[in-house]
Amino acid sequence: MRIAGLAAFMGMSILSLLAPSAPASAQADCKTVVAPSPFGPDDQTGATNRVTPAVTKAAAAEIQTGVVTPMANNLVDGVPLFGTRFSKTILSSFAVVPGAEYGKNKLSYMEDTYLSQSHVGTHIDGMGQIGIQDCYYNQTPMGKYVTQNYLKRLGIENIKTFATRGVIIDAVKVFQAAGKLKPNAACKNPCLDAGTVITEADLQAGLKMYNVTLREADAVFINTGWGDLFQQFPAQNATYNGGEPGISKSAAMWLASQKVVAVGTDTWAVEVIPGEDTTEAFPVHKILLTDNGIHIIENVRTDLISAAAASSNRATFFLSMTVPKAVGLTGTFVNIEAIQ
Amino acid sequence: MAPRLVLRRRTFLAGVLAFGLDFARAETRRFRIALANLDETPGVTLEGLGFSGAELRHSFELAARTLPIDMVYFDNAGDPARAVTNAEAAIAARVDLLIEYNADGDANAEIAHRLAAAGIPALALVDPLPGAPLYGPDNLAAGRIAGRALGAFARDTWSDEGVLGVLIGDLADPGPVVSDRIQGINEGVRESLPTLKLASLDTGGQSVRADALLTKFLQTQRDQRLLIATLDDLAAVYAKNAVEMNRRQSDCIIVSQGLDRNIHGGASEKKEINPNNRASVVLGSVAYYMDRYGYDVLPLVLRLLAGETLPPRTVTQHILVTAANVFREYPPFDMN
Repeated sequence: MRIAGLAAFMGMSILSLLAPSAPASAQADCKTVVAPSPFGPDDQTGATNRVTPAVTKAAAAEIQTGVVTPMANNLVDGVPLFGTRFSKTILSSFAVVPGAEYGKNKLSYMEDTYLSQSHVGTHIDGMGQIGIQDCYYNQTPMGKYVTQNYLKRLGIENIKTFATRGVIIDAVKVFQAAGKLKPNAACKNPCLDAGTVITEADLQAGLKMYNVTLREADAVFINTGWGDLFQQFPAQNATYNGGEPGISKSAAMWLASQKVVAVGTDTWAVEVIPGEDTTEAFPVHKILLTDNGIHIIENVRTDLISAAAASSNRATFFLSMTVPKAVGLTGTFVNIEAIQ
Repeated sequence: MAPRLVLRRRTFLAGVLAFGLDFARAETRRFRIALANLDETPGVTLEGLGFSGAELRHSFELAARTLPIDMVYFDNAGDPARAVTNAEAAIAARVDLLIEYNADGDANAEIAHRLAAAGIPALALVDPLPGAPLYGPDNLAAGRIAGRALGAFARDTWSDEGVLGVLIGDLADPGPVVSDRIQGINEGVRESLPTLKLASLDTGGQSVRADALLTKFLQTQRDQRLLIATLDDLAAVYAKNAVEMNRRQSDCIIVSQGLDRNIHGGASEKKEINPNNRASVVLGSVAYYMDRYGYDVLPLVLRLLAGETLPPRTVTQHILVTAANVFREYPPFDMN
């Protein structure tokens, strides 16, 4: 019974975990629950609407040396995963048995099957991931658009492009400079401890360090140092998963006011955990995704670009990140590169 | 009349200005607040419930993050002499206020005397400190909530059948705190079932014994519906095990006290009170929120430091937490 219960539990996503206990048939008035989209009543895209040709052209000017810095972690067995999420691959070999090869050139091939949830490793949260009751981005009553396999609205296929400017804010340096860094002993390199609140003043201080002013359509990444624990997987998974430093609600609202397209960190939820008010569940997710259509990118590798920024004194870059046109998905793992 | 009106206006404006300046000063001023915790010894739990001293302290660490407060922590380690020494250390550190959590009345009288001499205000946690406002649980009310829940369940589910009440916990020498809870349970359950008989199973402070005690009791009550009130969550978990092992799920229901991590869990934890476990014989537990005291107490501290007179006693708002509201009260926020 316990095993059956656990198995049933494993099948649940974070959405169902966070869902209120109201009857499934309850339909909230989404116009009173979620703010309307600034991109029109039919919009399913969100903030990537801001990435116009002019934005991409301006971002291309960030490419000066051509140096590419990785910003994604390898997705491999043992990395920290939220709750009961899983990510497995099955390798299938074809025509490798002697005599089974194809053609006189003896071609063989291999393919993979993913048995994976999409919000694993370095990944992006789409508009269909977070709601309040069943109200999602752009006042969408999501209950009408959920099927067993995918969403009929707000899927990640609606994302436009992330060919924009990226900005790295090194919160570790900010906290060091302010003399308020309280590290976690498990981090091999300086890191902010779990529960450390990153305010809008901290973000502004981080921008000031490199004389950066945010522009509309920027993608903002924040280095907290917490990703050091991710890279120690599996040894520090429990510590990594147990909480995290992250942005406050007011910092999220400030970022939204800057009209950014995405906020990414080297943590698993971007927001401070435990939250400022521990009776609220993931409020920053609601502010960014549900209310403002701004994507969240989690488990980003930010240490390398932070180091690059420190050595070049340049905290901006051309963001290279594409999202597959997988219809109806709420998110996906991604690869990210910073080109400078 | 006119000059007087002007004077009044001036007085009013001066008052507004002064208030504004004070407010601005208060906005920028940071306070040093000391918490002298009851006991942070690993394995020691507080007030007969499952909360640890470390959990209580952590709630202050979390709550202080977004307030103009720098915390200083002391561990009284359950030792009255050490509590006095810690109070002296807090006085020497010139803290703005001491939050004192110490159960010994004589030591608290001495601490209050020394704080008064040093001109340092105090706020008492759970146990009174002379002259200081008190924050703590309302044990009687919490007990009533559990009793009412059991009574309502029996009335709604077993309306035509006889039921027997069972109280499980550290009952031999309960002390005033546990006595209040027991009295509350009695009062609450009798609102629905005025003639209910209540049996007692004493765990002697070892909650694990709830399993064996209840197993024996169940064997003597083969055809009886049982309303089981446990005085702590660990006892509820063991009592539940006894109910299940004896296949008595259909005629037993349990309501507990505390709502600690023994009985509710995070996103991935398989715990008793869980939205996916609505059929459990553990109907719920009355929340004491000792792991959130910091969020309740530090705003009171700021009000006190702003010159406000607090009521002599402020109590936790207890509620019954069940599978239907546990994730609202304790949203699962960790990944583990």
